[in-house]
Amino acid sequence: MNVSKDLIAASATPLILAILKDYDSYGYAIIKRVKEMSENQIIWTEGMLYPVLHRLEEQLLIESYWDKSEAGRQRKYYRIKESGLTELELQKKQWEIVHNALARTWNEESNS
Amino acid sequence: MFDLETQIHSWSDHLRAHGNLSDADIHELENHLRDEIEDLIATGLTPDEAFLISVKRLGNVDAISHEFAKVNTESLWKHLLVEPVDSLAKQLNRRDITLVVIFALLAGTLFKIPELFGFGLLDQDGEIKIFFIKNFSFFILPFIAAFFLIKRKSELKTWATILGIFILAAVIINVYPSFDPHHTEILTIFHLPLFLWLIVGATYIGREWQGSKGRMNFIRFTGEAFIYGVLVMAGVMVLFLFTLVIFQAIQIDVEKFLAEYLLIYGGCAAALITVYLVEAKKSVVENFAPILAKIFSPLFLIIMATFLIVMIITGNSPFMERDFLIGFDFMLALVLGLVLYVISARDIRQPANLYDYLNLALILTALVIDGVALSAIIFRLSAFGITPNKLAALGENLALLGNLAGLAWLYIGYFKKKFDFAKLIKWQTDYLYVYFIWTAIVAFIFPIIFKFI
Repeated sequence: MNVSKDLIAASATPLILAILKDYDSYGYAIIKRVKEMSENQIIWTEGMLYPVLHRLEEQLLIESYWDKSEAGRQRKYYRIKESGLTELELQKKQWEIVHNALARTWNEESNS
Repeated sequence: MFDLETQIHSWSDHLRAHGNLSDADIHELENHLRDEIEDLIATGLTPDEAFLISVKRLGNVDAISHEFAKVNTESLWKHLLVEPVDSLAKQLNRRDITLVVIFALLAGTLFKIPELFGFGLLDQDGEIKIFFIKNFSFFILPFIAAFFLIKRKSELKTWATILGIFILAAVIINVYPSFDPHHTEILTIFHLPLFLWLIVGATYIGREWQGSKGRMNFIRFTGEAFIYGVLVMAGVMVLFLFTLVIFQAIQIDVEKFLAEYLLIYGGCAAALITVYLVEAKKSVVENFAPILAKIFSPLFLIIMATFLIVMIITGNSPFMERDFLIGFDFMLALVLGLVLYVISARDIRQPANLYDYLNLALILTALVIDGVALSAIIFRLSAFGITPNKLAALGENLALLGNLAGLAWLYIGYFKKKFDFAKLIKWQTDYLYVYFIWTAIVAFIFPIIFKFI
């Protein structure tokens, strides 16, 4: 089943922030990780990911730096910033509200 | 034979040419592509399969750059304010900016030094003294040369050579006397900057000054620097006029002050900033001169072809005055510029395209027109005797003609698949010697031949 575009777009920021909270990462690895975590249900395209990363960087939620990869290439890594962590907490709460509300209504449906 | 590296390079070149992406963005995407390819190869695919699939997954270039464009709306001008990615580049960048500021101040101050000894910039009539016009290049170009010498970490020997050439040239042209009507002196004024600019070119290219790649970069640099210089100078003029008018409104005349300080220091700063900008952000900047060349080369071709047809039909041969010959020199120089900047943006690996044929048509038309003009001028030259101006104009014409004829010949060979495109580039970059020698002859030897008249 495909997740709708709107949902993918809406969940991009919290997912990226949550991944970067664990460790610094780069574009290709982020896409792979999201694919893993969602059991192949959410597959991001590069055309979508990099602009989001750059926007988050502009909003000062994350920052980037260049470092050598294992293969010795220069690679652009992203790191979460203090304000990014705050934003992540905020997003978590918002998603919980939505999640709880949905869960309750769906429970009511199945109860009635 | 499938070469993965070449393929990846041409993919990122394509991205560079078609999207408004910054260098860092392209680098990031290229890395992404490589990661994807490595993973696919690890699962057992061959490099060419892996490449095809990865490119397909990354999606089409237009779509990517369109997505990126939403984020970087101010991209082009933002790029020019250079955001280096790592700290070393940042340090170097800071050093370059410091150099630009210091050199601009030094160059401006150098203009003012003669004034301290009572030798002002303007004479009694408010005209700029001939001394300053003649020596104009010595006030700015040595600093640009020094900027590149520092940037390229040149050896002491190179410094000494370049400095030596500048000093020698300055001494020679100032020691030479000049008698009425100053023909050779005026020729020197026009040719010396070109000669010295080629010297600056040697410092720009640095160690690989004999290779055609470095020289082609210098040709590119020249075109871009010209366009940027005009833009930056226009900015300085706007600032000048604005200040003038706004102070006039409160009845204070600042013209003298502005002309003596803002224009001099602003002019020097404009030159150095231009050099810095063009050097700092090659990839964004690279786009300008080739685009202008591509817009105008078909238009020039139409005009010139029309001119040729009308000339043949009416039977009016060009009336050969010196001024017209200079006009034809300009035509050749323009055609050369157009052809050159189309070539400079061209990927050597790509096959011949429409613009290559347009270039050849443009060159051939120019050659025919110039051939007609030249036959007329040589006839008149022999009839009315040689003057320095006629000889200089003629020499320029022949130098440009030789350059274009060589290009046309190589283009034809290239279309017949006799040579590589690289041979054209080599011809063009080697030909810089001819200009170097010719400008040197006109600037330094003409005065002697014509007894400083």
